[in-house]
Amino acid sequence: MKLYEYEGKLLFSKVGIKIPHGIVTEGNIDWKGKAVVKAQILEGGRGKRGLVKVTDDVNSAIQEMRKLGINKFLVEEYIPHDREVYLSMILDRDTAEPMLIASPHGGIDIESSGEVKKFIIPIERGPRGYDVIEIEKYLGVKGLFQVIQGLYKIFTEYDAELVEINPLAVTDNGVIALDSKVILEDNALYKHQDFLKEIGREYSPDSYVELDGDIGIIGNGAGLTMATMDMVKLMGGNPADFMDVGGGADRERVRYCVIKVGSNPKVKKILVNIYGGITRCDEGAVGIVDAYNVIKKPIFVRLVGTNEEEGWKILKEHGINFYENPIDAVRDALR
Amino acid sequence: MLEYGTKIVAGVTPGKGGSQVYGVPVYDTVKEAMQEHEIDASIIFVPAKFAVDAIYEAIDGGIPLIVVITEHIPVLDMAKVVHYAEKKGVRIIGPNCPGIIVPGESLLGIMPSRAFRKGKIGIVSRSGTLTYEVAEILKDFGQSTVIGIGGDPIIGTKMQDIVKMFDEDKDTEEIVIIGEIGGTMEEEVAKMKKEGKISKNVVAYIAGLTAPKEKRMGHAGAVVYMGLGTYESKVNAFKEAGIKVAKTPFEIKDLIFS
Repeated sequence: MKLYEYEGKLLFSKVGIKIPHGIVTEGNIDWKGKAVVKAQILEGGRGKRGLVKVTDDVNSAIQEMRKLGINKFLVEEYIPHDREVYLSMILDRDTAEPMLIASPHGGIDIESSGEVKKFIIPIERGPRGYDVIEIEKYLGVKGLFQVIQGLYKIFTEYDAELVEINPLAVTDNGVIALDSKVILEDNALYKHQDFLKEIGREYSPDSYVELDGDIGIIGNGAGLTMATMDMVKLMGGNPADFMDVGGGADRERVRYCVIKVGSNPKVKKILVNIYGGITRCDEGAVGIVDAYNVIKKPIFVRLVGTNEEEGWKILKEHGINFYENPIDAVRDALR
Repeated sequence: MLEYGTKIVAGVTPGKGGSQVYGVPVYDTVKEAMQEHEIDASIIFVPAKFAVDAIYEAIDGGIPLIVVITEHIPVLDMAKVVHYAEKKGVRIIGPNCPGIIVPGESLLGIMPSRAFRKGKIGIVSRSGTLTYEVAEILKDFGQSTVIGIGGDPIIGTKMQDIVKMFDEDKDTEEIVIIGEIGGTMEEEVAKMKKEGKISKNVVAYIAGLTAPKEKRMGHAGAVVYMGLGTYESKVNAFKEAGIKVAKTPFEIKDLIFS
């Protein structure tokens, strides 16, 4: 679950990472002096879209962005600073240890910055003074102990997948986090219900990812679903989404997934690819029929595996095209 | 698994000790089961919230091989388990995986037997259903062993370890890798091949050509952060190492033994 900037900054303040003084608002506020007005949305690239403004006229900036459909803002004091650096923490998949990523150049797309260094911080010991000295020397910035400890604390105590400060401003009064990007791990959210309550968020994880095309994709299993998207692309079509029904999906789950994908107005045709292992084809078929009766868009179903013959019979009775070979299903869907 | 011929000697479910399932005795703890039977592998189906305890229990019980089918185990918890297992010399396969099958001999997992046939190809995969698909496509060649290592970011046994084992396995003639975006295991395999550490022929398929970055594609591990493990990075690494890359799962059969 991705947090809004202000939610991430709430976590920062809890662990002792300094942030600018600020107010979260939906409309006009009483503010004197220079400020930074920032749209609170989950997508990145706000700067390029004019959704971050340094201004003396806070309320005009808010009204301008409201016209673009934004309705939540973080208004912060403007922090004069000499330098910006980058810090983040993710899990290193190779060593299965937390990894701090640092760059002396903050404020930009870090992947395109050539200058990045990675520091492994073993989970058995956590961050130590000598880690901090090494990182401070690399960045040419002093006074990072609290920030590094804070990043590690959020990462481990809130089961974060990514904690990013970009940029971290270097000022005469120490370092201040000007932005936050925090992604909490969906699978661990059950441990952090108190925090979710505190920020007023509810979250039900779903595998659905929307893309730009017009062929709705549903599969069982992440690999098979991705492979189906890729086949559509390679055969000249454009996938509209990624939707994995998961392992052992029942009628209701399949129905829900097909309806969700089919409800996207961009979707013209729907392609379902199910290889039944612990998922039963007859359950899947009934779910597809249920959804088809609601959605009524052309649907192409590749269905094989456990109880396949019963599944085919159900689809046939309802006039739904079914296939054993996924390539045939893709070809017909793209016709 | 019983139908497939796997010798299951005991089950463990707290509170169900003393009962039987399909004639297999059930115990309250792994320790109790170990006192009554000789056990050399465990398979875990326990729901995510309790799975970590179940893995620790199996490790402490002294079981040398643990297959974890469970999906949605928090990744930091798993990182600690993996370190603990390494210290104790225990091999974990998974989590979030379909398990292991040696066609015609044994099944320690949830793979549907229809897709597999005894043969000469070793398949290692980060996926479940896509593995069944590929195994079925390669049915004419058959498989020596098929291992689903799991779709999570942190897993007990990495792709490169399995490829190395296949390379040393006398029943395996060629190796098929089913990878996906995210992480750098595929790149590590490519490096080993390039350095001449793998002598057998390897064919690879990578899912996720059309996946956008920083979006999780179903599997917890199928996500690209910091530009690590993109589709292009994997395919380029394989090509440089002389590993043939299939564009679709179906193309694998044209590239294997060619």
